[in-house]
Amino acid sequence: MSRAAQRSGATPSKRLAEDGDICPVCKSSRYLNPNMRFLVNPECYHKMCESCVDRIFSHGPAPCPIAGCRRTLRKAKFRKQTFEDIQVEREVDIRRRMAKTFNRREDDFVSLLDYNDYLEKVENFTWNLINGVDIEETEKTIAAYAEENRREISRNESVAAQEAQSRKARAAEELELIRLRREDARREDELERREKADMRRGIINKLATTDGDAASIAREGQRVVLKKSLARRAAIDKQRDNDPFAASTENGEASSGLIFKGLKKWVPPAPEKPYDPFGGWSVENEYFVLQDHYDWDWLSQAQTDIRHTAGGYDVNDYCARALCEAFSGFGVFIEDEVAGRNVGSAPSIATAAAAVTGSEKPDVNMDDIF
Amino acid sequence: MKFNIDTLPVLFPYPRIYPEQYEYMCDLKRTLDAGGHCVLEMPSGTGKTVSLLSLIVAYQQHHPEKRKLIYCSRTMSEIEKALAELKALMKYRTEQLGYEEEFRGLGLTSRKNLCLHPSVKREKSGSVVDARCRSLTAGFVKEKKERGEDVEVCVYHDNLDLLEPHNLIPPGVWTLDGLLKYGEQQKLCPYFTARRMMPFCNVIIYSYHYLLDPKIAERVSKELSKDCIVVFDEAHNIDNVCIESLSIDLTEDSLRKATRGVNNLDRKITEMKSTDAEKLQNEYAKLVEGLREADEARNEDAFMSNPTLPDDLLKEAVPGNIRRAEHFVAFLKRFIEYLKTRMKVLHVISETPPSFLNHLKELTFIERKPLRFCAERLTSLVRTLELTNIEDYQPLQEVATFATLIATYETGFLLILEPFESETATVPNPILHFTCLDAAIAIQPVFDRFSSVIITSGTMSPLDMYPKMLNFGTVIQKSYTMTLARKSFLPMVVTRGSDQGVVSSGFQIRNDPSVVRNYGNLLTEFCKLTPDGVVVFFPSYLYMESIISMWQGMGILDVVWKYKLILVETPDSQETSLALETYRTACNNGRGAVLLCVARGKVSEGIDFDHHYGRTVLCIGVPFQYTESRILKARLEFLRETYRIKENEFLSFDAMRHAAQCLGRVLRGKDDYGIMVLADKRFQKKRSQLPKWIQQALEDRYSSLSVDQAAAAAKAFLREMSVPWTRAEQEGVSTWGPEDLARHKAKMEIEEIRRLEEEAINANGAIGDVVMEDEFGGDEFDDTVLAELDV
Repeated sequence: MSRAAQRSGATPSKRLAEDGDICPVCKSSRYLNPNMRFLVNPECYHKMCESCVDRIFSHGPAPCPIAGCRRTLRKAKFRKQTFEDIQVEREVDIRRRMAKTFNRREDDFVSLLDYNDYLEKVENFTWNLINGVDIEETEKTIAAYAEENRREISRNESVAAQEAQSRKARAAEELELIRLRREDARREDELERREKADMRRGIINKLATTDGDAASIAREGQRVVLKKSLARRAAIDKQRDNDPFAASTENGEASSGLIFKGLKKWVPPAPEKPYDPFGGWSVENEYFVLQDHYDWDWLSQAQTDIRHTAGGYDVNDYCARALCEAFSGFGVFIEDEVAGRNVGSAPSIATAAAAVTGSEKPDVNMDDIF
Repeated sequence: MKFNIDTLPVLFPYPRIYPEQYEYMCDLKRTLDAGGHCVLEMPSGTGKTVSLLSLIVAYQQHHPEKRKLIYCSRTMSEIEKALAELKALMKYRTEQLGYEEEFRGLGLTSRKNLCLHPSVKREKSGSVVDARCRSLTAGFVKEKKERGEDVEVCVYHDNLDLLEPHNLIPPGVWTLDGLLKYGEQQKLCPYFTARRMMPFCNVIIYSYHYLLDPKIAERVSKELSKDCIVVFDEAHNIDNVCIESLSIDLTEDSLRKATRGVNNLDRKITEMKSTDAEKLQNEYAKLVEGLREADEARNEDAFMSNPTLPDDLLKEAVPGNIRRAEHFVAFLKRFIEYLKTRMKVLHVISETPPSFLNHLKELTFIERKPLRFCAERLTSLVRTLELTNIEDYQPLQEVATFATLIATYETGFLLILEPFESETATVPNPILHFTCLDAAIAIQPVFDRFSSVIITSGTMSPLDMYPKMLNFGTVIQKSYTMTLARKSFLPMVVTRGSDQGVVSSGFQIRNDPSVVRNYGNLLTEFCKLTPDGVVVFFPSYLYMESIISMWQGMGILDVVWKYKLILVETPDSQETSLALETYRTACNNGRGAVLLCVARGKVSEGIDFDHHYGRTVLCIGVPFQYTESRILKARLEFLRETYRIKENEFLSFDAMRHAAQCLGRVLRGKDDYGIMVLADKRFQKKRSQLPKWIQQALEDRYSSLSVDQAAAAAKAFLREMSVPWTRAEQEGVSTWGPEDLARHKAKMEIEEIRRLEEEAINANGAIGDVVMEDEFGGDEFDDTVLAELDV
């Protein structure tokens, strides 16, 4: 294959440039046969005219008629040439084959650099095949790779197919949308024109039948027109905003059969906790336990009096506060604190306090204090 | 004269100032203070440039941060004019202040205009000069020279390296001529001096393209900092400049040349592989790392973000399959072959970039991503290969840019393939238009990057079209009127011929003999009565040709010939400049001449017919664009879909801005006078789209005339103008001396105080006054309420 490839790479392109419209086999030219079509066979990429193909290969496979090329060709494989440059034609065929095998996607790789390395490697293989360097070895590697990664390949294939399908659907949808919008715009114009004409006719009629001031009638008419057009524009805007199709295009999403790859899963944000002014630092009363009920007779009156309770007064709150105030001095030793302040020789009370609380309760943030 | 705007002391280099100039400066200052964009329309010939420059320079010198001014204009002559104004201004400032300010103002233009190299400057085409200059001045050439190889270098360029890089030229304002002279004296290259000094200048004056065209903007304008003040002067056409800078046309010929370029590259790579494989390897290693390093070179802040190179692209590495030089070349070959096959189709195709990319992938297995990197990769390769004859690779570069653009933008672009040149052609000559539909794409980086962008011109009505089309917000949009001591121009709309037949260039009747005859009569009448020059604008070359040949048949040209020399504009620029020259000579020493030209041609933009060079301008027909063009149709659709600008709205806006441009050609100052005739029935309804200053002068009684009425009015006008008249009459009315200005300021202050007082009173008495106010404004109130109810 390598020999053939090299030769086919060199010669046909040159010939193409020299006499593009002469069949190299039968030597008939476009001048003699204006509907002449050229075909190539992806085996050796020698081009010849359609009638030659019919003549030579109708009765089954036959060797290529071009001198020096002994490849056996079949008629079914002949096809029209897409690219002018035969080399590119061949390259694209090779690439088609490669693309089937090497269809890894960017998100299969950890980093972009890996992906780029992969791309380069594949490009190297392709390059080898195109230029006929180490063909056997390359082919072997490729085959081995295809065998190894058969599952991934087929998976990526189906993903790609799905993507293509959704893309096609989206394109069609977009086209339809554009068409609709165009239609809308046209209709709108038409409506406006008709309304204007109607209005004008109305004004003329009015002018003809009534005998008011002509200028004022005309002005009146114009005002009505203006108002109507304003109303219509607003209606259109509203409609546009509500239009489900329009919304979907703006988001760039289509509804059906579309799978986005690489999208992060949406995690609902955790519900916000109520605000805690002390930052998790709570004071427990360690010197007393609040009772549900106290028998203080001077209070029992207030407890049942509807005039107090209606205002939201709760005796329990009063008790809790009273007790808290009663015990609030406990556990504070002034001598110790004064001594501690001197020892620490802290520059200010605030820092000292912060240091103390900071060491005791790790969740009080020191930065917050300043 | 010297005066203050708020607290800003402004030195104005003339003893008198026009009221509108003062107002213009006030608004400019407000914009600069607020730090936003603005659109200002100021009548042509009222000294827009000088007021702009004097205010901004005053602003620069007054504020410590010295914001740089980037002044963009459209043509060479306008750039030179602006530079001359700036020079005069700075001279005046020095005289007034008594000391010289540390100030640099430079203009930049192409190498062709600034080259001093003895053989290179003799080249005729700009691209050849560019290429030859590059081959003498590129970095590797110098390296080679240092290695002792025998290569040609440019002395002018190399002398620059001997100087301090921030002080290549002494402070001051340098006009292009001055720069050339200085360069010749000191043996320094003016082009590179200007380019390298740009970061150290206070004022830069250059063409739009240096800021808008992505290919140039990247190279030239990247070091400009964010707080620069950007001014686009003569910006009425800015949307078209934006669009052109991102549109690419490919022909079969250019593809063929691109193929040749690729083959050359291939050969060079093979050569280099055998001689200097290390270099290729280095490049490869760099590309593995990505464009990051290049990104570092373009410092985050200083880099002008480029439409063809979005930021995310810079941060990514070049895709693996085009990293190696030979792979990339094969890739390009494949892409070009694909384009060639596309060109073979014999029917018109218009498709969007995504659909093109899909088809491309199906046929050639070219993915979108490597395509996006095409332009950058090619640049890198060319640099590595040390190619000198860049002009050979021009078509290839075009293809690469095309590839990058099409893979970058999904919307706002359209691909249109037209296989035949015209409807009737049978031999295919395919052109692949890759057109940008969205003017906002090219200019967006400018708006994003610079805090103050000022768009100004003589004809920009309706003003709100520009923010809509270019997608930006403004602080101030304003149109100024022209204060005149006497009515010095006469706009008229002619709707009928003398026979009361309608005149119009509308498609149905434009070739009716009666219409053509009426237009002919119009021309002969005005040629008879106008002294000196008459300029006539037609909507298109095609129409001009047909109408001239019909006039010839009717004998109208023979009549015109008795009064004026007849000259015609052609698409050929050399012929046209010859015609212009002849026209000027004829105006200087004879009965004058009549110039027949086209509303979108070269004459209609940028050529002034001041004083006796243009006393009458006739605009025959509304200069609509050719609406059957597919590109225009696509753009209209895009505008409708994206910006909700209706087709007719845009077409009429576009036609009227060109008409206004044409009309503005004859009036280039306050002591100039001229007649402006709009000859089409349709102009009657489009009056409101003319610039405010023309609208103001267009009286109702002149808004629908027949040819004979127009001629009578014009005669009366000319008689009035012929009365001797001195400038003294203008004083206090249309020009202000310092006293007048002071008076105006005092008046404004009193008004301001009154307004504030009124506001205060209103605020106090608002509750009590409700009933009264309702009585006054009852009608309006009613109206709005009704409208709202209807909604």
